Amino acid sequence: MKIVVAYKWAPNPQDASVGVDGAVDWSRAKPGISEYDPVAIELARRLAEATGGEVIALTAGPKSVDASMARKAALSRGFDRAVIVADDALEGAGTTELAAVLAAAVRHIGDVDVVITGDSSVDVGAKMVPTVLAGQLGWPAVAEVTAVSGSDPAAGLLRVERAITGGTQVLEITGPAVLAASTDAAVPRVPGMRDILAAGKKPVETLEVPALDVPASGTTVTVTATARPDLKARKGQLIDTADPAAAAAELVAALRADGAI
Amino acid sequence: MDFELSEEQLLIQEMVREFAAAEVAPIAAEIDRNHRFPEELIPKLAEVGLMGVPYPEEFGGAGADYLSFTIVVEELARVCASTSVIVAAHAGLAAWPIFEYGTPAQKEKYLRALATGEKLGAFALTEPGAGTDAASGKTTAVLDGDEYVLNGSKIFITNGGYADIYVVTAMTDPDRGTRGISAFIVEKDTPGFTVGEREHKMGIKASSTTPLYFSDCRIPKDALLGKEGRGFVIAMETFDGGRVGVGAQAVGIAQGALDASIAYAKERVQFGKPISTFEAIQWMIADMATEIDAARLLVYRAAWMKDNGLKYGQEASMAKLFAAETATRVAGKAIQIHGGYGFTESYPVERAYRDAKITEIYEGTSEVQRMTIAGNALRKHKATK
Repeated sequence: MKIVVAYKWAPNPQDASVGVDGAVDWSRAKPGISEYDPVAIELARRLAEATGGEVIALTAGPKSVDASMARKAALSRGFDRAVIVADDALEGAGTTELAAVLAAAVRHIGDVDVVITGDSSVDVGAKMVPTVLAGQLGWPAVAEVTAVSGSDPAAGLLRVERAITGGTQVLEITGPAVLAASTDAAVPRVPGMRDILAAGKKPVETLEVPALDVPASGTTVTVTATARPDLKARKGQLIDTADPAAAAAELVAALRADGAI
Repeated sequence: MDFELSEEQLLIQEMVREFAAAEVAPIAAEIDRNHRFPEELIPKLAEVGLMGVPYPEEFGGAGADYLSFTIVVEELARVCASTSVIVAAHAGLAAWPIFEYGTPAQKEKYLRALATGEKLGAFALTEPGAGTDAASGKTTAVLDGDEYVLNGSKIFITNGGYADIYVVTAMTDPDRGTRGISAFIVEKDTPGFTVGEREHKMGIKASSTTPLYFSDCRIPKDALLGKEGRGFVIAMETFDGGRVGVGAQAVGIAQGALDASIAYAKERVQFGKPISTFEAIQWMIADMATEIDAARLLVYRAAWMKDNGLKYGQEASMAKLFAAETATRVAGKAIQIHGGYGFTESYPVERAYRDAKITEIYEGTSEVQRMTIAGNALRKHKATK
């Protein structure tokens, strides 16, 4: 089974700062594997261990995604090899464009059985790439995946569990699919010493966008403005009554007085 | 000069932080409070290769350098000094002399088991009447046919009772002083070898520190490590590396105390402002950060010299001395920043304060480090006159 994990080399928002005008300063944000992507890697490794498959890392972005440290950080997480689309033309690329490039890279890899992604990227958080990627490939997309196993790998059958409101749904999928792991689907393994020291020796194929067959798109999406939500004035009213029943009555009366209930 | 860690070392640092946050931090306060040796951590440490960091892959190690091992010890100590001591004594003190002086058969049998973390190691030199003064040791090893017979006792042995493999020094020729000391590998459960009660310590409470007793303990002749009479040299060379490890522990303890202090100073509001805005607190933080950085550079330099095959005994002593005293000073200031809360078990800095003290004592007290450093400095001056 050929398993691809599409991960993002993204700046960590914990190191970003927000100015008084709401502008985000990313200059001090250290890049790393996007927060939820290790969960996708863990699902992929478990599937590979169960089916004897290969786990391939795939990412696309500006040249920095192919930096030596970026490669090793990804490959130390248990991948067998990596395919990296590194092209400065992808600097600031939108979801649709990025998904189209990833889809072309998946076709380039060939014979892929499943693509697994994280729930969303840590910097943008649009949750769009898995769906658009699946659309580009003409494959089904399943979100909130909590587990995946090969019910019959020889027949290309995947058994997928996904979280739904109030329970779990079990799907059997024939043929390739794109799965987005839920944020708590698995506890990712910490890379071992040997994984880290071997990371620099694993095969990496680096491509630029022109080397891929990316269909042209006439549509572009540009973020023209961002704004913070308006701060709502709060009453800050404290009900300081020892008797719970009296406090509840006071609360209800206050809510009624304000027309909230 | 290159002060940058390599990409692999940075990834190792990141990995140990991730491991420590997930596996060690949640139990650090509890194992300290209950004096509980964290047996459950050993297989987890082994799984990610942290029990045999500086040993070749052919012996089951990770195949990393000593600086990487130093980073591992530092990062574990940042969260839990006891855990770092367990790893440092195992990989730095017990496995090292076997790697350096062991026969191929000894390496295959013992180093592999230690480096993979399948078995835990301990190093035993100190005796009731012989700490720094190793020549006063009373434990003897007498050759009898194909066996050595050990008699005597050891004290303050880290990992005692939990270790499977002990590197033990004993006098094979008491008349020759330090040249009469030899080193041996002793397996637990060897008849005549027993472990005493755990010490109740001020700090590193989750680590096990015990006496060892040898009473007509017979070990095979091929348990001798290196040659007869080389035990003191083996111990001193092992301690050179061990001092880098203790320095790393001290840096980690200090960094953990600083991290906690900065977080607290930003949160704690007095007179309407976070106390981090007060100059008195800022100056303490500045001194703590500067001293930790200096200590870390000394420790990393000593590790780098070891990796590059340079003589590093002097630098190891300087690193250990400065880092240990830095840890105690920094932990003291951390409590001061926390005020009354810092004096309680609710915050980790009181543990850091207790844990820091031992770094000034074991593997050569600060006084011994000063003797060594001064002796070398005085000799060097004479040589360059």
